[in-house]
Amino acid sequence: MNNRRFLFWTLTPGFAVVAILALISIAGALYFSLMDRSLRYPDYHFAGLYNYQRLLSDRRFINALQISAIWEIVTVVGALVVATLLSVLIFETVKSFWLRNLICFAFLAPVLLPRVAAAFIWRFLYSPSLGLINYIVGLTGFGPVEFLADPSLALFSVAVVDIWQWGLFFTVIMLKLLETLPKDPIEAAQLDHAKTWEIHAYVTLPMLKAPIISLALVKAVESLRSFDLIYVMTGGGPGTATETLDLYAYQAGINLGGRISYASAMSILLLVLTTIVFTLIWRGIRKWAV
Amino acid sequence: MGRLIRSSIVSIVLALMVFIALTPILWTVLGSFKRLKDIITPVPKLFFSPTLENFATILQNPSIRQGLGRSVVVVGASVIIGAVLGVPAAYSLARHVRALKDDMQFFVLSLRFMPPVAIAIPFIVLYLDLGLYDTLTGLILVYLVTTISTVIWLSVPAFERVPKEIEEAAAMEGCGPGEIFLKFALPIAMPSLFGALVFTFVLVWNELLLALTLAAGNATLPVVAASITSLGKEVPWGVINASTVILVIPPLVFIGLLMSFINGMMKPARR
Repeated sequence: MNNRRFLFWTLTPGFAVVAILALISIAGALYFSLMDRSLRYPDYHFAGLYNYQRLLSDRRFINALQISAIWEIVTVVGALVVATLLSVLIFETVKSFWLRNLICFAFLAPVLLPRVAAAFIWRFLYSPSLGLINYIVGLTGFGPVEFLADPSLALFSVAVVDIWQWGLFFTVIMLKLLETLPKDPIEAAQLDHAKTWEIHAYVTLPMLKAPIISLALVKAVESLRSFDLIYVMTGGGPGTATETLDLYAYQAGINLGGRISYASAMSILLLVLTTIVFTLIWRGIRKWAV
Repeated sequence: MGRLIRSSIVSIVLALMVFIALTPILWTVLGSFKRLKDIITPVPKLFFSPTLENFATILQNPSIRQGLGRSVVVVGASVIIGAVLGVPAAYSLARHVRALKDDMQFFVLSLRFMPPVAIAIPFIVLYLDLGLYDTLTGLILVYLVTTISTVIWLSVPAFERVPKEIEEAAAMEGCGPGEIFLKFALPIAMPSLFGALVFTFVLVWNELLLALTLAAGNATLPVVAASITSLGKEVPWGVINASTVILVIPPLVFIGLLMSFINGMMKPARR
């Protein structure tokens, strides 16, 4: 009896607040996506699926969808590749406890930076006229590279910043994971004269399959929140070369004339898409990792 | 000989990585003490006569001072409320819920899937109608989604790590569930819980989109910082560097805590 009351009073307030707020925003977005509301006019009417139909023929929306997909893949794969290579390298070569901790501290610093701050730092570094990177590029004889103004480079230049933050952070986590592994299988492989890279490719990394997949999932979720980084560094430009879905929804719904309903339809599509994809991945992982 | 070459290559690669990790930050700190004429040079300057002008400009700028104050209020309130509501829920989830535990944990995680724009747009309209637009209360309310869910998500494993025997022994002594939670589970799990709270703090301290859309008139620090580029005609790089440094300091203070949090999370759970 007492137990049930305790359970009720601890669980209900937290979950209720979160559920109500989430419900308000989803129901609100769904409702407005079926209207023709914009911030310019106070009145609005039912518009049916008009907004969704327009989205499907909106080339800027299709472009944003593609940019978002590229962004997700580049940042998730990039962060994991950096983390895997660096953590194995450190695990194999740095044996001193203090040196390892020192490297870990250095690698943790970037992820703690606010995205806005990271964006400013790198915009400064990338600057064609006074940036440190272009100075180094200039020493090798190549002219200044327009990292953020060149449409074919801009998205990757921003992705580098994201990987700088998350790849190094994941390196620390993977290193700690490698340290927790039992020593026996590694020693057994060494007895079989396996090369170092073979031990990691066939023994240690497969043992870490489950945590690595969760890291990938966490990164995929966090990569969806790229707005701050891109907004400060390029604002979606040049043109629409770095305009992801959240940036376009922001531009359409808030900045340009406040087409609330159109932006709502966009965010509902985004929500449905991410929920389906991530739920499938989550269920798949749990089946596969067990 | 080959071994010597290989180990020196490894050292160079590692040194380079530490360099890449830290230089951007240190360069910005350096830049924040430079006069504009020391920044706009064809060859980057490592030595110059430092100035506190940039920090003076920033701290005299009322919008940045107010932004700092608002950030403290908004982030403080949302993290504290998030902890008060989230930590007990996480404990019950870890210890008393069986059947629905996985689904409830997934629900909390799935809130992170929600695109921030999808939260922002309906709340703009709602807040305009309720008169909460451009208020800190409105912003705190929306941040609760992030803080409560993150606190629950990270605290469940922290409570699962508390040895069960202690709680069972306390129950044998006749302690109620509330007493066990407050007197035994909470103090033991405290170090990891603190890490979870710090992580939550960093998340909302860094948040830009919701603050920009729901309370642009009462801008928090990230919003103020993001708008500095358009202060004047000439890009005030020194001032931008200085405001970046101010924005960076609070989260960076917690680097040691984050480290011990990761170490704690990686230890195998005691059963």
